[in-house]
Amino acid sequence: MRKLAFFIPFVLFIALSVFLFSGLFSNPMERESSVLDQPLPAFALPDLHQPEKIWTPDSIKGKPLLLNVWGTWCVTCNAELAYLTELREQGVMIVGLYYQQPVDAAFGEVFNLSALQQEVTLKLEQQGNPYQWNILDKDRTLIFDLGVTGAPETFLIDAQGIIRYHHIGDINPQVWQQKLAAAYQSLQE
Amino acid sequence: MKYFFFSLLLFTAAAQATQALTEFKSPEQRALFKELTHELRCPKCQNQNIADSNAVVAVDMRAKTLELVQQGQNKEQVLDYMKSRYGDFVHYQPPLNKFTLILWLLPALMVCGLIVLLLLRRRADRGAAATDPDDKTQSQPEQQLEQQLDQLIEQYRRKS
Repeated sequence: MRKLAFFIPFVLFIALSVFLFSGLFSNPMERESSVLDQPLPAFALPDLHQPEKIWTPDSIKGKPLLLNVWGTWCVTCNAELAYLTELREQGVMIVGLYYQQPVDAAFGEVFNLSALQQEVTLKLEQQGNPYQWNILDKDRTLIFDLGVTGAPETFLIDAQGIIRYHHIGDINPQVWQQKLAAAYQSLQE
Repeated sequence: MKYFFFSLLLFTAAAQATQALTEFKSPEQRALFKELTHELRCPKCQNQNIADSNAVVAVDMRAKTLELVQQGQNKEQVLDYMKSRYGDFVHYQPPLNKFTLILWLLPALMVCGLIVLLLLRRRADRGAAATDPDDKTQSQPEQQLEQQLDQLIEQYRRKS
């Protein structure tokens, strides 16, 4: 009994060490998304390049697609444009959800749609255009309802408009192969 | 130099003026807004609350909290609204469920374990004392030693 009690601190120490050591390799950004397996939240947002056209959950249903949250201001988003364009050429349907940063009226900033359209067109000409079309979320309402923490983030939406996967961070060949490719293929069938 | 300090004062006045003034219908709503922005956690910057952070998502959450509070929603409703989008992660007070149960149980278990350990030890000590019959005789040699020591001290005192 006394010998057993003597080992308790040692065992506790080992357990704590293993716990803390494994913590070194965990990713604090990785956590279960609360929108998984739920239908897209209700929205009615304009097309970035044709503002008179309004997109709703119903109008994007029908085919599995990637909904990619991005902005020209976001460096990582620009870095993934080339690979996403490759995916588009392989037949993956990708829709852009444009993340507009807040416009601070107190500092005299004004939202200028035509300037933004030009900026986006130029960027996509330079880096490649993976998007079938872009949805402009000027006040980040859909972005908020989807639980987006920043850009880039990507949602895999099935043909019925149900969210199947939520990826935080960029999409590169490794991420696509390990996390998204299989899920996307299974939705195709 | 004096003008320099005065111009600094002007700058601080301008900086304060750019902070948006928010108005509340009642002091309770103001208190609720303050409480919520301190308890809600920024999902982007991890270890800041949304009152503290200026990340875009924290700014948006603050605006949404304000909107909901001004609509007259209570604390639970606002928290549910945020949790349905950003998960339990977004509230600094984790709910009690199967994943977090250990947070509540572990301290209680440790206290119980400690009490059990102490009781066992006391019983073991008492058992050892009871099974030892010549407990008092054990101190006899010590008494003899002490007497010898006293005698020695006396001798040295007399010599000096």
